Amino acid sequence: MKNYDLVRHVKGESKFVDDILTPEGCLHAYVLYSQIAHGNIKSVNINTALQMEGVEGIFIAKDIPGENQIGGIIQDEELLASCKVDFIGQPIAIVVAKTVALAKEASKKIIVDIEELTPVIDPRVAFEKGELIMPPRVFSLGDVEANWDKCALIVEGTVESGGQEHLYLETQGAFACPVEGGGVKIVSSTQSPTTVQKTAAKVLGLKMHLIEVDVLRLGGGFGGKEDQASQWAAMAAMAALKLNKPVKLILPRQDDLRMTGKRHPYSSDYKIGLNKEGKIINYEVTFYQNAGASADLSPAILDRTLFHCTNSYFVPNVKATACSCKTNLPPNTAFRGFGGPQGMFVIEAAIYKAAEKLGIDPCLIQEKNLLAEGDEFSYGQKAEQCMAKASWESAISKFNFPHLKKEIDEFNVASKIVKKGIALMPICFGISFTTTFLNQASALVHVYSDGSVGVSTGAIEMGQGVNMKIRQVVASVFSIKIDRIKNETTNTTRNANTSATAASSGADLNGKAAQLACNNILNRLKDAAAKYLSLANSDQIEIKDEVIYYENKPTRLLWNELISSAYMQRVSLSSHAYYAPPGIYFDKDKAKGKPFAYHVYGTAIIQVAVDCLKGVYEIESVKIVHDFGKSINKAIDRSQTEGAVMQGIGWMTMEELKYNENGRLLTDALSTYKVPDIYFAPKEFEVEFLDNPNDSLAVFNSKAIGEPPFMYGIGAYFAIMNAMKSYKPEKHFEIISPMTPERLLLSLYN
Amino acid sequence: MTINFRLNGNDTSVELAVNKRVVDLLREDLQLTGTKEGCSIGECGACTIIVNSKAVNSCMLLAQQLEGCDVITVEGLSDGEKLHKLQENFLKYGGIQCGFCTPGMLMSAYALFLENPKPTVDDIKTAIEGNLCRCTGYKPIIEAISASANS
Repeated sequence: MKNYDLVRHVKGESKFVDDILTPEGCLHAYVLYSQIAHGNIKSVNINTALQMEGVEGIFIAKDIPGENQIGGIIQDEELLASCKVDFIGQPIAIVVAKTVALAKEASKKIIVDIEELTPVIDPRVAFEKGELIMPPRVFSLGDVEANWDKCALIVEGTVESGGQEHLYLETQGAFACPVEGGGVKIVSSTQSPTTVQKTAAKVLGLKMHLIEVDVLRLGGGFGGKEDQASQWAAMAAMAALKLNKPVKLILPRQDDLRMTGKRHPYSSDYKIGLNKEGKIINYEVTFYQNAGASADLSPAILDRTLFHCTNSYFVPNVKATACSCKTNLPPNTAFRGFGGPQGMFVIEAAIYKAAEKLGIDPCLIQEKNLLAEGDEFSYGQKAEQCMAKASWESAISKFNFPHLKKEIDEFNVASKIVKKGIALMPICFGISFTTTFLNQASALVHVYSDGSVGVSTGAIEMGQGVNMKIRQVVASVFSIKIDRIKNETTNTTRNANTSATAASSGADLNGKAAQLACNNILNRLKDAAAKYLSLANSDQIEIKDEVIYYENKPTRLLWNELISSAYMQRVSLSSHAYYAPPGIYFDKDKAKGKPFAYHVYGTAIIQVAVDCLKGVYEIESVKIVHDFGKSINKAIDRSQTEGAVMQGIGWMTMEELKYNENGRLLTDALSTYKVPDIYFAPKEFEVEFLDNPNDSLAVFNSKAIGEPPFMYGIGAYFAIMNAMKSYKPEKHFEIISPMTPERLLLSLYN
Repeated sequence: MTINFRLNGNDTSVELAVNKRVVDLLREDLQLTGTKEGCSIGECGACTIIVNSKAVNSCMLLAQQLEGCDVITVEGLSDGEKLHKLQENFLKYGGIQCGFCTPGMLMSAYALFLENPKPTVDDIKTAIEGNLCRCTGYKPIIEAISASANS
């Protein structure tokens, strides 16, 4: 079962946007951006720059033919700043020239006069000033107020979680080419071709059918190309149409780091109440989300923070409030987990602090409060086919947690400076876009007369293996060799009105649509086979390994001959199909409903070793029992799990975004923003597939895998805390992430 | 200026500007787009190629410095349709997700093998410490290189 995409990768033959052979005369665009985080634009003078040799055009806000508006959920974001700048990195002008170097050189000659205003960087300051993206959101269950006096222990505190740079290795970019009839074809590195199409149409003042968006693959997305790939594509398209020439726009890495939004930093207050037995009775939490300068996807991300604020625990009384605060940073955006990790981190911190107060291991509180079948989440959905306890118990026994714990305790008695720590991290993550209408997908399947198959869906391949999974679905429905099937590019002319490949839902939604399309064709093929074989009952026809069977017996008819015959019989060998998962809904006003098709569960055990003199640490092992449902591709799912955990650990530990008081990103290069490298990879990494025979709405019951394992990374934070605690048992540490070596030392010795 | 060098086994002569970087020469002039540009400052390793048996970041090298050198890029790794064992094992062990870091990873590993055909896991880590992968978590990459070393 060869994955041809991967074969091309190892041969250096796979094409990303910047690899496409461009036509003669292709121009290059560079984006001039604000160096001021907050201010009023007095003037933009492009005259000198425009006269430079090789410069073909410079476009500013007033040149936009349609609307200067790219906001998705809320219309609050300009493509090019017109009167006001709200963050450093905000685009002001598009410079188009014969080469990238010339365009960049010319951009330096543009004079932008900005009257500086005071920027706001801190979400709590923004909240105090009333600078909110939208009114606060509240999720609640039971009655928190009535139950505080039933709690034997109440703990309150504050938690800070840092942002995170996506660091897709392929930076943002697009290539646009004018086509006849006043339209444009855009090749974009986007997770959401339809968003690119809509945005470009709006900016250009064109109907959507004049914009064709094509996507081959992405060099990583992680959410960073869900909403924020659109502006670059719209800019390239605008320049291409204005100049009537092909235009390529690829962000240089440093510009990408400065201009694009990241995972939202959060500042949160919690209050947790437990009874004598360690059961959580009450949980009250307020999240201050640092949204940056405009809404982007922040409202939806804010909701997911609330959906997952109790992680995989049952809490009978919850009051969770979330405020999306407007600051002068680049608009923060989707990133694997989509606000869920920030919510989960706070309840884990609350449990940690409660355990500290009681002088017990946090895992005793975690275990006592795990979700059981039928337990209600704060949003009204009940836990069904709940694997919280099953995964926990399986992890404890499979990896012999008591033994691991004992080894660590003994090590720590003997070792003075290096201390080890271990933590358990259960997860529960809901699958579906919580904005219900986005849960839809389409597929177009062609069987060609030679028996080969092409499949188009709205799914974007960005390394997560969705193309391979869809080919598996097609191969399975037709029962043909997978080599016969090709994934076509994702293209808005073949699949219209698609949702982003996001929310871990790419394979579920698009795979199911492909399954339906294949079934349509299969039914026609059965009739054609019956006719060809002069058999009465097409219900008794099946295809098994490319052989046509009748009443469970092989016939002389093979796949190729069947297709050829069907074509001659004038049977359609193509089908378009549409899928929308049933039974999900969510009432935003009441904050109640059944937003998720299903939940994914699992438990990780993470062990670290901390050098309490140097502040450095190693991830010694990550051991996971995860609910994959019935995985259709264990290699892909295992690899997704490992990668997601690594990224989650990076978020919690070494990846630190630093902005100065002027709103300038200080960690704007890979020399200053550190992501896990080979030395940081866990020394031991075990992933166990939890046996889960339950049916779900997942494609072939193979559960979504993109995001859920990211949140295991939170366990690394508390494993480090446990090691630190073992070094300084009397100290109470603040819960601030990321726990960089610098912060670790300051926490130990301050 | 004109420079002469060997590229994937072929004598190559190119006309170029003095300030052109190797990564641009390969990608723009020679259409060898297997070599990727990830960070432009020698931190991510996506642009790694082999020059005179050593792995180098092609974003940090001027093209004119290739004069008289023997250069291998990812396009030169397989023998026609027959994949190199490193390529086979990256496929077998799942050392690839989005594929953007893959050419650089392969080049760093190949350079290691040129110097040391029987590397230990620590040698492998040292060899690819300058190559970032944002997708996999590295485990399958180490497994793929280790398996190649032992075959």
